[in-house]
Amino acid sequence: MLNGRAVLRALVAFLLALAFWFGFSRPYERGIAAGAQALTNLFESPDVTRLQPSNGEILLDRRDFPPGSARPGLPGPDLHFNFVLLVTLFALDRKPLRGGHVGRFLLAAAALFLVHVLALVFQVHSVYATSLGAWSEATYGPVARNFWAAGFHFYQIAGRFAAPFALWWLFGRREEEEPSGGPRRTGKKKGRG
Amino acid sequence: MSDALDSARRRSVGFLLRFVALLLVFYLIIASHPVNDAVIVPFTAAIASVSGRILNSLGEKTEVMGTEIRSSSFGVNIENGCNGVETALLFGAAVLAFPASGKRRLLGLAAGFVAIQILNLLRVITLFWIGLHRPALFNSSHTVIWQSIVVLFGVLLFLLWASRQRPLSAEPSPTSRGRSRKT
Repeated sequence: MLNGRAVLRALVAFLLALAFWFGFSRPYERGIAAGAQALTNLFESPDVTRLQPSNGEILLDRRDFPPGSARPGLPGPDLHFNFVLLVTLFALDRKPLRGGHVGRFLLAAAALFLVHVLALVFQVHSVYATSLGAWSEATYGPVARNFWAAGFHFYQIAGRFAAPFALWWLFGRREEEEPSGGPRRTGKKKGRG
Repeated sequence: MSDALDSARRRSVGFLLRFVALLLVFYLIIASHPVNDAVIVPFTAAIASVSGRILNSLGEKTEVMGTEIRSSSFGVNIENGCNGVETALLFGAAVLAFPASGKRRLLGLAAGFVAIQILNLLRVITLFWIGLHRPALFNSSHTVIWQSIVVLFGVLLFLLWASRQRPLSAEPSPTSRGRSRKT
């Protein structure tokens, strides 16, 4: 699976994905923001959270914020640049453009979109729970504060890198190819140059 | 054939579950304050120190204070997420989740960690240079390009290591039937 051609395909895919990501990250952020806002509003009463993408940031607004106060801006690219990793990993396949593989890539990309929406929900609650002073302490208990803050921190440190790898492993890696993820018998032993 | 694929699928999902569990455990360890203060911050400061020395040997006039590298017109603070530890965690969790002997895992972990850190040093140095001489390119280089490259490098290293592992047991695996091995 991992040979010079695969690495070359990955390199080309990386550059193409990068160009695509630079071109489409703004509309993509609108989709993530809409999804995360809907999910957050679902558990709010009244539904006050508003997420508005603006110049690479997602502005976090609440209808009950004082009108003149500053709105926190959440950096968008940090959330979703791992799309580039997903594309690159899928390009390792010998025939990355065959129909089934493209279909599985689209499934993985849809799953990654859900991961991005969830990560943004965690980020919003992380801001609510830790950054709004007395309001945060009154509204979020210690367990809730740690849950939301640690959840988003996990995404920042490990989750955003692990998610494309896990999705590729699940959807994009062909079972007959190595590594299998389990004990296997190798054929005739060959020396390495 | 269907049984073979089912079996491979089970092993594959098993690997993924072990990988995620290990990643969570590693995260909890490095995110704890004692480990962060006693290991991660000094390690990050060491990266800053080595990077500063290399930059100075390349003619840049920098000084290092803790995890910060500064020059007269630009400075960076190396934080978690930029010290290569996150990629090392990913690599370590994958290597430990994959079935292999203890010795091979240990060798893989050591070699992988060193390789990832060498690439990360290159990343820190080039990012500092970009920040100093091409500041308009710094944000995209930092957030997207270099982070992706380092993580991809870690994943490719794991795949390379995993493809060279021999079986732990003599039990044949259906996934290996009819498979030709390429080196």
